[in-house]
Amino acid sequence: MSLTRRDFLKASASIAAAFGIQGAEALAREGGLSVVWFQAQACTGCSVSLLNSIYYNTIDDLLLNTLDLNYHPNLMAASGSLAQTVAQNAYSQGNFVLVVEGAVPTGASGKYCYLWPGMTAVNAIKTFAAKTPYVMAVGTCASFGGVNAAPPNPTQAVSVQTLLGTSKKVINIAGCPTHPDWIVGTVAHMLKYASVPTLDSKGRPTMFFNRSVHDICPLKGTEPAKALGQPGCLKELGCRGPETRADCPTRRWNTGAANTYGKDWCIGSRGPCHGCTEPKFSELRPFNKA
Amino acid sequence: MPTTVKLGPLTRVEGHLEIEVSVDTSAGAPQVVDARSAGTMFRGFETILKGRDPRDAIHYTQRICGVCPISHGMASSMTLESAFRVQPTDNGRVMRNLVLGANYLQSHILHFYHLALPDYINTAGLLDMSPWTPRHVTPDMLTGAQASQLVNHYVQALAMRRKAHQLGAKFAGRMPSTATFTVGGCTDTVSREKVDGSRALLAELRQFIDSVYIPDVETLASLFPGYYRIGKGPGNMLAFGVFDLNATGSSKLLRRGRYTDNLDKPVDHSQIREYVASSWYTPASGNLAPLSGTTTPDASKAGAYSWIKAPRYEGKVHEVGPLARMWINGDYRRGVSVMDRLVARAMETKKVADAMNGWLNQLVIGGATVKAGSRPENVTGVGLTEAPRGALGHWMQTSSGKVSRYQIVTPTAWNASPRDDFGQAGAIEQALTGIVVEDIGQPIEVMRVVHSFDPCLSCAVHVVRPGERAARYVVGIPA
Repeated sequence: MSLTRRDFLKASASIAAAFGIQGAEALAREGGLSVVWFQAQACTGCSVSLLNSIYYNTIDDLLLNTLDLNYHPNLMAASGSLAQTVAQNAYSQGNFVLVVEGAVPTGASGKYCYLWPGMTAVNAIKTFAAKTPYVMAVGTCASFGGVNAAPPNPTQAVSVQTLLGTSKKVINIAGCPTHPDWIVGTVAHMLKYASVPTLDSKGRPTMFFNRSVHDICPLKGTEPAKALGQPGCLKELGCRGPETRADCPTRRWNTGAANTYGKDWCIGSRGPCHGCTEPKFSELRPFNKA
Repeated sequence: MPTTVKLGPLTRVEGHLEIEVSVDTSAGAPQVVDARSAGTMFRGFETILKGRDPRDAIHYTQRICGVCPISHGMASSMTLESAFRVQPTDNGRVMRNLVLGANYLQSHILHFYHLALPDYINTAGLLDMSPWTPRHVTPDMLTGAQASQLVNHYVQALAMRRKAHQLGAKFAGRMPSTATFTVGGCTDTVSREKVDGSRALLAELRQFIDSVYIPDVETLASLFPGYYRIGKGPGNMLAFGVFDLNATGSSKLLRRGRYTDNLDKPVDHSQIREYVASSWYTPASGNLAPLSGTTTPDASKAGAYSWIKAPRYEGKVHEVGPLARMWINGDYRRGVSVMDRLVARAMETKKVADAMNGWLNQLVIGGATVKAGSRPENVTGVGLTEAPRGALGHWMQTSSGKVSRYQIVTPTAWNASPRDDFGQAGAIEQALTGIVVEDIGQPIEVMRVVHSFDPCLSCAVHVVRPGERAARYVVGIPA
């Protein structure tokens, strides 16, 4: 097995150009696209989901050949002060993509979440975001607050976009968890087409979040199920497909092969859509209707 | 004077963990004389669940942890079934076991290869890139052909844990979390295609477990025999048991029980208390059974150093996890140590995978998967199961059909808890105390002990740190 990285200079230059920043060529790094991945109020579910990637690239291909994943708390070899050094070196070098998983608790002066001793999530994300134009919120918590911001929002959790304010455009890869293809596909699109994918009004790439689940659901128009476990459209059971944008009905989940959509998905297993890619996912409204 | 080192972030765990150790030279060797374990993130799930439809808990609690959402979904489904006096259909029970089993396989494979193994191999010349560099290096780490083979298996294991999730998704719809678990079973249907697809994936996984994972763990154990003598901890074990083999749950693949003061004993969950002497909660939040638990923070409480409560059984510290389960079940009784945890976890992986093959035979194609029932409005429920990393309990009360109290006691609360009201250190703290740390700049021995427990800090829902701790000596934080 070859463990050397492909030359990623060209692709890195493309993504830099895609963001249209000055000195874009600086992103062209020998080691691949530099990524700093912070977990704030995260459950790690989006990282675990990313590990399931295979449609565009497998995770080992990404780590060995594409990304320079400097800082990722679940995967990195370094701990403690050595891990902090990694983050600080990435910060000093700049030209990284900041990925945030999890909502950001702003209550108690940010002290509900520390990334390392003395460094709150609030402080870390603000500090690192100021150093890069590329900020990706991975998952519905980082995109919209998610379950952490559910009423009564005990930690005053906010999305990355809310934390950083409107001057910084955050790419929201929503989903609880997010789909690995939505993360990898967004990065792949930027590398291939040298452009940021079109984002909808909620900051999500329209290439994945263009149509409602109900719109493209194979069960649309079928006789509604009256109880869980019965066949048919699940709308009378609380399915949020009509109000939820995501390509789950076609892409599906947990595929086993490259360039091949999966077979399984929530509604395919008669589980009503919970609207996990939407800001309203965690509002005080029951998932079950019947 | 001991040197106190704050190891934060302690990476390759799930969630935010900080370990503080005080090291002093004793009998000619630098040893850990005191250890404190703390989480650094709080979310407040138990507060968020109040006032909701109880059925939402099955889906909300899965979001506590992205590595073991299925265990929370299982615990919550069982809690509601206990409250509503419903038993799952046989199909539904078996499907839930298969989904949970698939997640055990992915979690245990992930733990060994991707979270724990980097503590034992020097990957210089093999993985000279992020996120594997910079790395901690100690002279005892494996190099050369041994390291090279394990790195190859590290990569292979990434594909294997993905396939385990692919297997789980057959009846979960998707992984890591599922929308199919419900009161009375599982919403999905049983088809020949799903059963055959599951069996093919399981065959690949069993092949990997038998021919790669278990041999690798045996190799590691033979090369690091000293770790059979390190990291014992309290020596008491607790397991709620998991994988119900009948509708009442009276028979399980891994049984309920405990091992306290060298004796096998039964479990009565009403004997569990959560203590808060060293936790930032008001005294009124302490010494309570989970079913009457409250969580009132007191950030300025004197003497507290953690926001994890300290669950104890009859006042005693217990370890939970694969070793505890295999010990209680009588499958593994070699000893209690860092290496015993890794070995028992691998053996349990095989046990679960082999059992899953039999469960696929029990599914009735086209048979009922959900049992409907009434939902009484003022009820109490308990769900006791096991996450991959140990005993997991959910306790719920409802009032007028809404959740009025929901308390969760997670595996990592047992293992990573602070001192309790009696001054007893938590399991990880005890396991760390006394270990030799050759080079405090490369605290790999500490990481090996902590990683053997497979901590999951996101699960420790009580964990919070709104106040700065008193400044302690911190090694090596760059300017």
